[in-house]
Amino acid sequence: MLPYISRRLLFMIPTLVGMTLMVYTLIALAPGGFSASASAAAGGGAPAGGDPRIAEAKFRDRFLLDEPLLTQYGRWLARVFPVKFGTRAQVDATGERIYWPASLPEMIAVGDAASPAEVQRLAESMAAARASFHAAEPELQRQAQYRQVSREAKTARESLVGALAQLRLDLAEYAAATGQSALVDSRGELPASRLVALRVDTAHELWSSVAASARVANDAYAKASAARAVLEASFESRPFREAGVGVIPGVLSVGAPDLGWSRTKNRPVGSLILEALPVTLLINVVAFPLIYLVAIPAGMLAAARRGSLFDVLSGGVFIALWSIPVVWAGVLAIGFLASNQYLGLFPVAGLHATDSASMPFLPSWGAAGFARGWLLDLVWHLVLPVTCLVYAGFAVLSRQTRAAMLDNFNADYVRTAKAKGVSRRDIVLRHVFRNSLLPLITMFVSIFPAMLSGSVVVEKIFSVPGMGSLMLEAISLHDAEMMLANTVMIGCVSLLALLLADILYAVADPRVSYA
Amino acid sequence: MDGNGPLLEVADLAVSFDNSGGGPRIQAVAGLSLTIHPRQTLAVVGESGCGKSVTAMTTMQLIPCPPGRVDGGTILFGGRDLLTLSEREMRKVRGSEIAMIFQEQMTSLNPVYTIGDQILEAILLHQRVTADEAVEIAIRALEEVGMYSPIESRMRRELAALKVEVDAQRRAPAELLQAESSLGTRMRATRLQLLRDYPHRYSGGMRQRVMIAMALACKPKVLLADEPTTALEVTIQAQILELLDEIQATRGMGMMLITHNLGVVAENADVVCVMYAGRVVEYARVEELFARPLHPYTRGLFRSIPGLRDHRARLTTVEDIVDDPAEFRKLEGYEKGVVPWWPFLPEAHRPALAPSRDPYALHEIEPDRWVGCWRTPHVEAHPTRRADLTYRRSRSSVQAAPSDRS
Repeated sequence: MLPYISRRLLFMIPTLVGMTLMVYTLIALAPGGFSASASAAAGGGAPAGGDPRIAEAKFRDRFLLDEPLLTQYGRWLARVFPVKFGTRAQVDATGERIYWPASLPEMIAVGDAASPAEVQRLAESMAAARASFHAAEPELQRQAQYRQVSREAKTARESLVGALAQLRLDLAEYAAATGQSALVDSRGELPASRLVALRVDTAHELWSSVAASARVANDAYAKASAARAVLEASFESRPFREAGVGVIPGVLSVGAPDLGWSRTKNRPVGSLILEALPVTLLINVVAFPLIYLVAIPAGMLAAARRGSLFDVLSGGVFIALWSIPVVWAGVLAIGFLASNQYLGLFPVAGLHATDSASMPFLPSWGAAGFARGWLLDLVWHLVLPVTCLVYAGFAVLSRQTRAAMLDNFNADYVRTAKAKGVSRRDIVLRHVFRNSLLPLITMFVSIFPAMLSGSVVVEKIFSVPGMGSLMLEAISLHDAEMMLANTVMIGCVSLLALLLADILYAVADPRVSYA
Repeated sequence: MDGNGPLLEVADLAVSFDNSGGGPRIQAVAGLSLTIHPRQTLAVVGESGCGKSVTAMTTMQLIPCPPGRVDGGTILFGGRDLLTLSEREMRKVRGSEIAMIFQEQMTSLNPVYTIGDQILEAILLHQRVTADEAVEIAIRALEEVGMYSPIESRMRRELAALKVEVDAQRRAPAELLQAESSLGTRMRATRLQLLRDYPHRYSGGMRQRVMIAMALACKPKVLLADEPTTALEVTIQAQILELLDEIQATRGMGMMLITHNLGVVAENADVVCVMYAGRVVEYARVEELFARPLHPYTRGLFRSIPGLRDHRARLTTVEDIVDDPAEFRKLEGYEKGVVPWWPFLPEAHRPALAPSRDPYALHEIEPDRWVGCWRTPHVEAHPTRRADLTYRRSRSSVQAAPSDRS
């Protein structure tokens, strides 16, 4: 059994990778793609001032959108994957991961940028910058120092990206003037990879502006390199605690997945999910046993008294419930049961009263009368959402139970049991029901993911802050990181439920073994 | 119950079923009588749908009502009419005094319980024993039906060889004792393992043995074997039947053996009851029936068995015989009005019937031979006793139990 479970757990990895790759691709293919998501995060609208093309280059560099889609996905995957390679990341007080500084964009070798003397000068200035860095001593100081250094490096990098973009634009202009516009790409720039094909005429009047831009870019590159070197040194002084647990120092470590940073909520996605997932699970953990506890005995009784009033009535009522849409039922429940204009029996929204934090856990009779306490308050808030989630589930499960039981009533081993003198009650409970369990376990597999998605609607209607609400919000706000993280979480929960069903199957049916 | 009386006495049993098509009720069994004595095997033969299984199931009261209904008759067992017992009283009879084994050995065991669970369920239901004692009973029952592993067979042979050596005083008797105890330990371990195993791990023949062990664990007085070997391969079939025969002889159990296989009848039955359309057409000792079948239907059954050296383009069928009115005149006493009953006999060849509701009567036409006849005035005027034979074949194999089984 253990090898089987571990094999199944390992198989979950490619499944999750496939799922997330699909969602990733869908987000990228959607109009605007990740830049829409990023610009929504950056506040939207066109950046003010300067050449919009240069501003866009800076923006794309900030969110690393220039890389191929698969590389971007790979970087996301590496962050989410619990096994990490390379230098360990650090975690700051807000929970944001701080990684080893990203490498600078490639320099465009125009003029003397690639000369040995220039390279030598660059290396020396980087070494000097590094040497000039002294880590501040108390930890808080060191963190402030890191933030300062990081800001400087960011500014230096931004000006480098701007200078490079200007250089590419100048090159493109020059190329167009000298009749080499074939080298210019769709963005109106001349990428570095096509530089070797460019015929250079230093005497051309436009070349002087190219040379000037190249010098600016060179200087920016030197500054950015120095700033990055300082940032590296500051990172190495470990201002924050390291994430995860090291296995091979500097090479391999194991840590919690980094689900990213929600830019719309300005909080780590991980902590958002940690708040939302228990809410969804709570609703489902209450709803699931309710469905099973009502539907299975009802189905058993209906099968044992086939054709009786109970059989017909329970079937009819369950099917009727099943055909009521959740959206309608939810709105009706709020309108009539919860609204103060009508009955006002239940709360309208949320999972807790506003003052629930100050309530005692259990209900009590005090001087001020009955105080319902935290637990009862929660139950009271759960009644309507759980009812809406549950009522439609009875029909399928109870009919399935009934059919499975009826099937088994005619089985040969039931006849054997009767011939042994086993009482009817024992036949139903011991022989028939035990065999009818098997299809019910399979049902669990199909119901569980449906329940999770069903709770999206219920959560929305009753303003319950669960995974469903989070997912809807992420989609409507273009929060890519949150969408991906939700996909991962819902995927994990569903896959684990499937695994649980398979394990239960092996427990219930001795003919199934996963050796 | 006295030692000499019949164990089970079915008299004029009639069972019918609702016709789901809306027609009249279907008469599955119409006035059937038979008796089973201790140590006797009564073979019930006949084509599919002639009411063999319905008879057995009615005896156990396992016919679902509705659609089934017992229209009349009695089933006497131990001085009580089983048909008048309540469900509660009947449960005490089922499995404990009358046991039944079925044809579908692959599906007759519950797949989700161990073999032990299922045998112990029967034992604990009917016997006042502790769980440990029940395990012992189950182990003995499994031994009785010959469930043992190949390793044990080898150990038995080795033990026998050792015995010869010890008898010849070439080996010390202590070695024999040791070998015996190790075989005992081994066998016990195998049986215990068997009890813990699930049915799906065993072959059809082994499962049928488990079914038999389960049926016999409570030492029933009557065993209803509804085609116990039909789905089994011929060698296993022979083993199972031999096994039943042996157990029956040692326990004095009565057995109703329902089968299609006339070879099985010839080998195992004492008395044969041939059925057609819910009625007995012939009832006789096995040798007499095979030597001289009296009813045309029985003759048809025997004649339709092809011989190994038959080189005919078309085999004889039952219809060839029963469609020939001349066959019906062959019965002794035909002139007096003793005509074999046959539902499809053309009107022209039917004798004049006595004024009675039932055109059929099981008539003892000569001592210990019954044939289903038309109820003519002659038959009506000479009522005979009910079909009842205490006959048992002499079995040579019974006295000497095989040395292989201790």
